[in-house]
This record gives sequence, C-alpha cells and structure tokens, in this order.
Amino acid sequence: MPDIEPFSPRGMFHEGWTAEVNDYAIACGWALKGKQFIVGDVAGGLFAFEGDTGKIIWEKENTHSGGLLAMAIHPEGEIFATSGQDGNVQICNCHEGKVIKTLDLGKGWVEHLKWSNDGLFLAIASSKKVYVLNEIGEEKWISEDHPSTVSAITWSNKNELATACYGRVTFFDILNNKTNQKLEWQGSLVSMELSPDGDIVACGSQDNSVHFWRRSTGMDAEMTGYPGKPSHLSFDDSGKLLATSGSERITVWSFIGNGPEGTMPGELCHHTEPISSLAFSNKGMLVASGSRDGSVVASFLKKDGNGDLVGAAFAGDLVGAISWRPDDCALAAVNAKGVVNVWKFKVRTNLFSKGFK
Amino acid sequence: MSIKDKVPVTILTGFLGSGKTTLLNRILSEEHGKRIAVIENEYGEVGIDQGLVINADEEVFEMSNGCICCTVRGDLIRVLGNLMKRRDKFDYVLVETTGLADPGPVAQTFFMDEEISSEFTLDGIVTLVDAAHIDQQLGRSDESSEQVAFADVLVLNKTDLVSDDALDTLESRLRDMNRMTRIIRAENAKVPIETVLNLSAFDLDQILKRRPTFLEPEYPFEWTGVYDLDAGKYELMLEEGPDPEMSLVALDNQGESEEELKDGAESSVRLYAEKANTLEPGNTIPYGDHINLKLEDKGNKSFILNIEKPTKIGLFTQHTAEEFNMKVIKSEENKEIPFNIERFWQAEHEHDDEVGSIAIERFGDVDPEKLNTWMGRLLSEKGIDIFRTKGFISYAGNPRRIVFQGVHMLFTAQPDKEWGNEPRRNQLVFIGRNLNEKEMQEDFDKCLI
Repeated sequence: MPDIEPFSPRGMFHEGWTAEVNDYAIACGWALKGKQFIVGDVAGGLFAFEGDTGKIIWEKENTHSGGLLAMAIHPEGEIFATSGQDGNVQICNCHEGKVIKTLDLGKGWVEHLKWSNDGLFLAIASSKKVYVLNEIGEEKWISEDHPSTVSAITWSNKNELATACYGRVTFFDILNNKTNQKLEWQGSLVSMELSPDGDIVACGSQDNSVHFWRRSTGMDAEMTGYPGKPSHLSFDDSGKLLATSGSERITVWSFIGNGPEGTMPGELCHHTEPISSLAFSNKGMLVASGSRDGSVVASFLKKDGNGDLVGAAFAGDLVGAISWRPDDCALAAVNAKGVVNVWKFKVRTNLFSKGFK
Repeated sequence: MSIKDKVPVTILTGFLGSGKTTLLNRILSEEHGKRIAVIENEYGEVGIDQGLVINADEEVFEMSNGCICCTVRGDLIRVLGNLMKRRDKFDYVLVETTGLADPGPVAQTFFMDEEISSEFTLDGIVTLVDAAHIDQQLGRSDESSEQVAFADVLVLNKTDLVSDDALDTLESRLRDMNRMTRIIRAENAKVPIETVLNLSAFDLDQILKRRPTFLEPEYPFEWTGVYDLDAGKYELMLEEGPDPEMSLVALDNQGESEEELKDGAESSVRLYAEKANTLEPGNTIPYGDHINLKLEDKGNKSFILNIEKPTKIGLFTQHTAEEFNMKVIKSEENKEIPFNIERFWQAEHEHDDEVGSIAIERFGDVDPEKLNTWMGRLLSEKGIDIFRTKGFISYAGNPRRIVFQGVHMLFTAQPDKEWGNEPRRNQLVFIGRNLNEKEMQEDFDKCLI
C-alpha cells in the first residue's frame, strides 16, 4: 500500500516534559513565541523552562512577600509582569528574569494584570483601583475608586479597558480619561471575558449565573441554573462560542444565529470534580479544561457548543492553570503540588490525515 | 473532603471598644500550637502583634434575586480563596469583623459559596460585649442585637467596670436573646483559649456532649427540695397558693451536690417536656413522671409519697415551696420532715427585647413531610427575622437523629448518630426578632405523630 503513510498515535496528548516548582503553581504562560514556559507559584517563586525540553533556564524565589497573585506575559513574549500581596507590580525580562521595573501600589493585594493586545499597555487591578502603565512601567492612567474590589479586567480594544466589580462593568477610554459605558447588574461579578471583537461582555456571577451584554445593541441576558458560581469563562477566537464553568461540567453557549438566548447550550461532562481552569486554543474550536481532580481534557467543539473529547491526561493534582502554546501544538498544565506537565498536542490536519486516503 | 480536613474558622464580632483586638492579640500570643491566619476588617488603634494577618475591607454582596440569605461577604471569598492555596502555612482562621458588621452574611459565606465550603468550616461565632455599654448599644442598634443573637459564645468583657448585680441582670437579658450561647465573663478579654477556639459550635454532637439539652438552662420549674426519707408513707401537703394547679417531678436517689442537682434538673427538664398526668388530692405521686397537682379545693390538700427503702427524694416544682407552704409529713408520726437542701432555678419568664430565642422540646417522633412543609413555610415567611436555627429531630421510622442547622433561610438537615436506647425526642432553638413562641410551638406540635 504505497499510498498509505504512517502517522503518530491517535491520542491528542503526546508525551512532552514535566518539571517541578517549589509550591502550589497558580500561573503559567508561554514566552519568546513558545520557546520558553514561565510558571509562578503561590509563594512567589518564578521559574522559566525551555519550551521544548523543560530544562530550567532561570528561577527566582520570594518575588512578592506574602505571595504571588498574578502573572501576565507580554504578547510579544519578551517581558512579563507579576503582582502580589505585597502591593507590588514587577515587570521582568523573560530571558533572564531580571526585574526591569518595580511599582509599589500600597497596601492592597494586586490581583489582576492584563496586557493590551498590542502590548502597549499593562492594566493592573488593586483593591478598588485600576492602573494602566506603558511598556516600560510608566503610569499612564488611574481610575477612581470602584464601588467594590475590582474582580476582573480585560481590554476591549487597544485604548479601552473593561473592569468588573460588584454590580457593574465599566468601560474606560484610558487615553482620554473618559468613561465610555457602564453596564449595571446587581450581583457580584466574579469573572469577565469579552469576545475578541469586544462586543459581547460575559460575566460570571456569585449567584450562579452568567450575565452577558451585547454592547452594539444594548441587549443583555442572564443564563441561570449553574450549580456553582461560573468562575471560568473562555471565548474561542471567532467569538462564536463561550465556554463557561462553575462545576464539573462545562456549558458552552453558541452565539451563532440568534443564540444563545432561547437555545440549548452544549454540555461537556468529562470531569468528576469542579473545573479549576478553562482555555480555548489560540485558533480553532478546541477547548482545554483542568479540574480539581487533576484531569486535563481537550474537546473539539461543534458550532452548537456540543463537542467530542479528543484527548485527556492526568496532571496529578488540582490543576492551577493551563496554557496553550501560541501555535497550539502543546498544552501545559501546572498543579497544586507544583508539578508542571507539558504535552505535545497533535491536531489532525490534512497533512497528518493523508494516511486515510 | 471530610469535616476533619477542613480548616476551622472562628468569627469574632463585637462593637468597637468591646475588646476584640485585645482578645485577638491574646489568642495570637498564647501557646496553643495552632498557626492562625487572621483576616482583619478593622484598622483598630491597637495593632496585631503577630501572625499571618490579612487586611480586607468588608464587602457585603447582595444578589439580584433580593434574597437576604444569598448575601455574602465578597472580601472573605477572595481572601479565603487565596488562603486555600497556602494550606501548609496555617491551620486555623480567625475573622475579625468591624463593630458594625452584620454576622449573617459572614456566616452565610460558609454555606453559600461552594469553593469556600469545600475547604473551610465555620467553627463558631464569638461575640464580645462591653459590659458597661452593651445595655445602651442594644437599644440603639440592630447590629449589636444581631451580634448577640448569632453568638455561639458571648464574652461579657470589662466586668470589672460593672457591679455584680448589674452583671447578673445583663447576663439574663443576653440569655433571653440567645439561649444557645455560652456566656463567659471576662476582664480585659482574659478568657481561656479553648472557650473561643475549636468550639465545633456548628457540630451539634459536640454541643450535646457538653450539655445534653444544649439549651442554657432556663427551667420550667422554680424550686427543688431534697428530702432524706426512711421507708414508709408520707404526705405532700400544700395550702392555697397563686395557681389552681402546679407541675412537679419527683426523683428518687437525688443527690445533694450542685452537680447532682443539675443532673436532676436536666432529667426533670426532659420530663417536663412530656405531657403531665393530672393527680387529684389523695393520689400517689409516681417517681420520674411529669405530674400536675390539682389544687383547686380550699384548705390543705395532700398527695401520697410511698417510700419502699430509705432514699433521698428530689422534688422539682413549678413554684417555690413557700408559695404553697408545701410540706412533707411522715403519715404515722404526723411529723414534718424538713428538706436537707433547697435550690432555686431561673424560671422561664417574659422577654422584653425584640430579639429572643424560642426553644421547642418535645418527646416523640415527627412526620418528616409535615415538618418540612412547616419549616419551609416558616423560613420563607420569617427567614429574614430568624437569625439562627439549631436542633435535632426524631423522624418517624428513621433510626438516626436528624440534625438541623440554619442561618436565616438556609438550613441543612442531616442524619446523625443512631438513637439507640435514648428516648426519642426533638429539640429546636430559633433565635430571631419578634418570633411568636406560642404559634411556633403549636405549629410544631402539629408535626408530631
């Protein structure tokens, strides 16, 4: 059979590498276009590994006294930012982990960091305030106090920042120091995601619902019936599918056609314990989820939000964070015991599926 | 994860100036082998000496459905959510609230948020009150009465500034408001650590081990006399008194020490919960039974006591002996036998404060369906005013005791240990505002089989 070319095993998760950090790993991400993988642990340890082999490149301890709370890698992948309970933000260089800039924002915890898509700005949430810095760490904008602690931040376009707190989502034009829009809802918003075009705002609420708004039409809707609070939300790159989870189940809303209002969501039931991390691949309709039981699953979704399991692996303990490599050819999971797992992820492209001809 | 693996949390409430920070410092500096993480909401003038201390602004989050039982404390969810990842660093959590905090949302956070309730367990609510000022505070603010109502332990602090009489009056006022609580008097917040930490106050079994009736005693009887009697026939003589009838429990082998008297009282409380058998003058008084003496006739009335072998008889009477000039007479010799010892008890009485406790104690089984319907209706109608519910129930046909716990409308009913040889009974306590005791008791009675 000369036409048939052999191809690798069918399971989508292939052995990659594993490594260990010193404490409960809470943040991770790919730098230097996937050549490096950085992990942050709860105690403030930072570790950079070679993306292909897992060989340690550099490590640092106690970067934030009291502990690390957030880490964000710049979209270009050359620098990254961290923040912690000490009220500090550090901007570091990925190659050696050297601190470029430290900012002291006071007593409050600094819980959220987000780079704008073009990488020109870094947004920082600490207690009731939000700060925006430029790439070299100069302060460009500060919000007024929000009515409560800011629970999520995200960029809607290159100059517009969305913040969520108890009772509202606010859009700020940070260049002109202007409030563009306020979306109100009496509920404690615990998570927020925007569709890539910035039109759909989805928030998980403490009262076990997902609330979303369409900014262009002003329409909003509430999706209730979650067994727990939907802390985990992820949009696919087309903005058509929103994966949400507040339990061991993933509920996927499809924005295709008139949906999701009045439609049945897709349901993925692959885990036995609640989801602890959730992420769509950078391109395409693959969603990866990690659970408190240590399982990591990738599912390939259809337009209606239902999908099929395409691979699963065991990460050993509660999955603290997962991250797709920028080319989606590897998936990383870090866990509560400080173990790092990186699997090669093979997508069956036309090239691979030649064997079926 | 079982309750043993969960991190216990103590909530410390009390008005500004009641001594919370002093108590906190005391707890942190004492050798108790625990590593305590403190979540502090008040930037007091006195600093916290040591330990893992996290400051957080109180954030009370109400939900869109307007249900008050869904109101939680956002700051606690955030901070505890983070502490969860550092479990190797501590094994106990103390939450100090501000003086004006409503304890409801704090307690509800541990029931309402799945992530929190899967890792932490509410051990107890400790409320400090300033003995010199609480009287005025209770009149002025809802928060202070709610803090008293929610407390598993009330530390009556600064007792050195108040007279003993005033303390007794205050203690009885607080007791009326919250009959589940344990009251500890203290100067300068000096209390034994074990009285405020590891209470397992939400673990009813523990409470029952400590106090079989778990209600702080407020007795259905006012007086006990213990009589040393030889074998023979005796008469219990009563003259006219304030009531045409009187309830009584007679116990044999009644000891005279305070502990034995309290044990006797405890048994009598349970017997008093049963329906009384009416006795006419001339009838014989049985032992270990709740009886009701008919005293309508004019003049002396006597009831018979038969003693087979020498023993000490304890009479637990609804009114004092003096009120009826009650005497024990040896029949053959027509000789009065004086009591060896008497003891007065705090009797049930009228309650003045809006906030109060209602206790329901009944022997027998309840119909689970009827009870659920009643509780469901009660909590949906009155849930805002009912701060806490605690108790256990005997479901007909179920070999195990059912334990109830509730904060406002939230409640859980779980099967607990088996009844075994214990008499099947029901005990429920409701602490709340403007509760109608009679109506609730009657409604409960309708659930009995």
